Amino acid sequence: MTGRSSSPDGWLLDITESDDGRSVVLWVKERRTGRVRRTAVEYRPPFLVTGPRAELADLARRLAGLPVVDEVVLGSGRPSLFDHRVRPLLSVTPSTNPGRRALARTVDALGGYAAFTLYDVDLVPPQLYHLGHALYPFAPVVGSGRDLVATEPPETIDYVPPPLAVARLEVRIAGERRGRIPPPDGRIGSVRLGDVTFEGPEPDVLRALVGELARSDPDLLLTQGGDAFDLPWLYRRAAACGLSPAEFALGRERVAFRPVRPARSFESYGRVLYRSATYPLPGRFHIDRENSFLYDDAEVAGLVDAARLSRLSLQTVVRQSPGTCFTAMEMAHALELGVHVPWKKNRPEGFRRADRLVEADRGGVIFLPPVGVHDRLDEFDFASLYPHIMVRKNLSAETLECRCCPASPLRAPGLGYRSCTRTVGLIPRTLAPLIARRLAYKAALERPGLDAEEASRLRRRVKMLKWILVTAFGYQGYRNARFGRIECHEAINAYARDLLAALVPASEAAGYSVVHGIVDSLWLRPRDPDRPPDPEAFAARMSERFDLPLGYEGRYRWIVFLPAVTHGLGVPNRYYGLYEDGRYKLRGIGGRRHDTTAFVRRFEEETLALFGRARDAGSFRALLPRVLARADLFAERLKAGDWPVDELVIRHRVGQAPEAFVTFTDSVAALRQLEAAGARRGAGEVVGFVLLDRESRSFRHRVRVAELLDGDERYDADAYLDLLARAAETLLAPLGVDRAGLLERWGAGGPVRRETYRSPEEVGQSSLGTGPTPERSF
Amino acid sequence: MGRTAPTYRQALEERMKRWDEFARLLTTPEERAAFELVRTGARRYAAQATYVGSPDLLESILLSVLTDLAAQLRAAAAERTDRRPV
Repeated sequence: MTGRSSSPDGWLLDITESDDGRSVVLWVKERRTGRVRRTAVEYRPPFLVTGPRAELADLARRLAGLPVVDEVVLGSGRPSLFDHRVRPLLSVTPSTNPGRRALARTVDALGGYAAFTLYDVDLVPPQLYHLGHALYPFAPVVGSGRDLVATEPPETIDYVPPPLAVARLEVRIAGERRGRIPPPDGRIGSVRLGDVTFEGPEPDVLRALVGELARSDPDLLLTQGGDAFDLPWLYRRAAACGLSPAEFALGRERVAFRPVRPARSFESYGRVLYRSATYPLPGRFHIDRENSFLYDDAEVAGLVDAARLSRLSLQTVVRQSPGTCFTAMEMAHALELGVHVPWKKNRPEGFRRADRLVEADRGGVIFLPPVGVHDRLDEFDFASLYPHIMVRKNLSAETLECRCCPASPLRAPGLGYRSCTRTVGLIPRTLAPLIARRLAYKAALERPGLDAEEASRLRRRVKMLKWILVTAFGYQGYRNARFGRIECHEAINAYARDLLAALVPASEAAGYSVVHGIVDSLWLRPRDPDRPPDPEAFAARMSERFDLPLGYEGRYRWIVFLPAVTHGLGVPNRYYGLYEDGRYKLRGIGGRRHDTTAFVRRFEEETLALFGRARDAGSFRALLPRVLARADLFAERLKAGDWPVDELVIRHRVGQAPEAFVTFTDSVAALRQLEAAGARRGAGEVVGFVLLDRESRSFRHRVRVAELLDGDERYDADAYLDLLARAAETLLAPLGVDRAGLLERWGAGGPVRRETYRSPEEVGQSSLGTGPTPERSF
Repeated sequence: MGRTAPTYRQALEERMKRWDEFARLLTTPEERAAFELVRTGARRYAAQATYVGSPDLLESILLSVLTDLAAQLRAAAAERTDRRPV
């Protein structure tokens, strides 16, 4: 699949929905001029309805006269993956694209929410246009308008990405430092776009910005917090200055000054997250590095790759999770197969006996590692184990327990779920090219003489694909996944467990003993340290034997498995170690966590650097006194009170709406303080603060939020000594170091004592001078 | 992404809460220390018990505790053999 085919006329950057609701707009960047051409094409895709023939006919009659309906056609087809026979099918075209969903809801209601199944309802017209016309975002194209043709398929691995003009955008409020809380009536003092900065009277700055946008015509605006600050502020001030949408267009088309998507809080993998409102810039992309899950890891090269494969706009990819991308890829493959996408998943989990459920509903194998310092361990990992299992065992909702292969040899170990041997399932069909792609990029990275830019582009694509592959498995068990099925999730786990169990005797036969294992990784110790097995040969043998790629990660000089605070046994995913080639591997310790305070991170880094000199477990242990001496130094400086406060900022993701808290925690104090200063935070947003007096019950005295820091605050030294002691304990517990002992050694105060609860009426709050906000406290 | 059944580790911790009542009436430090060993033994083989996936929680706990005890007995016996004068 190499396709540096005949040179294209340009690249299709994006497809957006048009204002009139009846067409889509194609944005094509011309190769010759570098300009972006806008073409509107009338396009209103239908959605499909199945149900009993008589009721469909009745529905068709009722819809025919409605003004919101353009066309109703009764036909037949097999829209579902599970359809074995042709069924009557009603195709409904709404009169406007924005009316699509409302019309679908009406149809659903007319069927009493039971008679009809609807398909393709929530695919957006741009996505359907791509799929219906064999196009995709960033496709090299020839022709124009509705005759646009892609010159290579989206799966092409070795493609030339379009040259995107990127410009940074940054807005500053007059007289304010960035990052502080802007006053509600703050004027824009300056705006930077790319290398140009505009200053002066606000309306002039805004007009100059629009002028520069038209002149330099960037394809992509890059901001740091643009969804939450720069864009809303620009639109707000433009409105205040009396500029109309026609005079102040930040995209390549004028739009109303309001977000397309309001801010929201949501839960993902047990964490509450927050996403700012999204402002549209038709024809132009905006990436907010703070509002993007994927940007950090994938940057533009990875995002372009994901957009091509998912047929989702870059604008959507950057703001959505990898799971959304994967679902969109599944949808694309489904439509290619002539199957349609069900609107509401209508496949509830079947009833099962409780004991069968206990048997089936299990995760991967996770051993408890032996706590302590170990040396000369070999680590092996399976690359993309779960996606590989799905492909090898043909695991997909519709291939499981199929009618055509009652004697299939593909049976999930212990559970017996059969999978089809005749037809490749939708999930494997979607995954196989992704796996191949990732391997191809990885192989390309090994090419000698690769230039740095190309290498970083490849690495970003590899990482992007990794995320998408990871979610592919999780989505099998997700109740809303369109093509997911819980039994698939269980079957994948069953194969993975069986694999790890088979690897235990295989490792022993090869001269290893198993020290630790987590789902797809193994830590093995050579039984005879003087004659260790050849790890690469072992990995190759196992890969061949199990038909799954086992890779050799490396040999550790030393590795420390850490205990749980509660029961002292090992925690599967908390360890740190140093490979022989000098790389560290850290899991579950402070530096890996997002909320770790800078000073704790510094302590960890210095500790790890000290331990970096150790060649084996013995010399590691011998370094303990030096590490403790370093901890003492940290403690002394903390106690002296002169640690820079910006290194002491603690960051917490707020788990619930501010008013939902019932206890007065540090975060609550920070939230109250922000609110008093005129800034409200929602669930899932992050608050940063320095602890001033952890025993105080006043939100003004307990903490100081990062946005209000002056730099000369007196922090609560005991509180930070406690954090330091915890960090030291985390790393050093296997060597007999504990928090209480450290605190005693440093002469720090004991555990936190809080004043007893007093009602707000009893507490007189002193003012922090942040404005005329009514005082509230706990 | 909720699970329907609790994991073995969750079920074990839940069951062991009941054991607290048992431990409260142990009267000597030696007995209490011994009881803690039993608890540790129950936790030590969680991976293996999960792998079995038995609906009988107690079966898994007993296997885990007994394996732990047997391993310690063997280790103690090996140590005695080592110390025997040559």
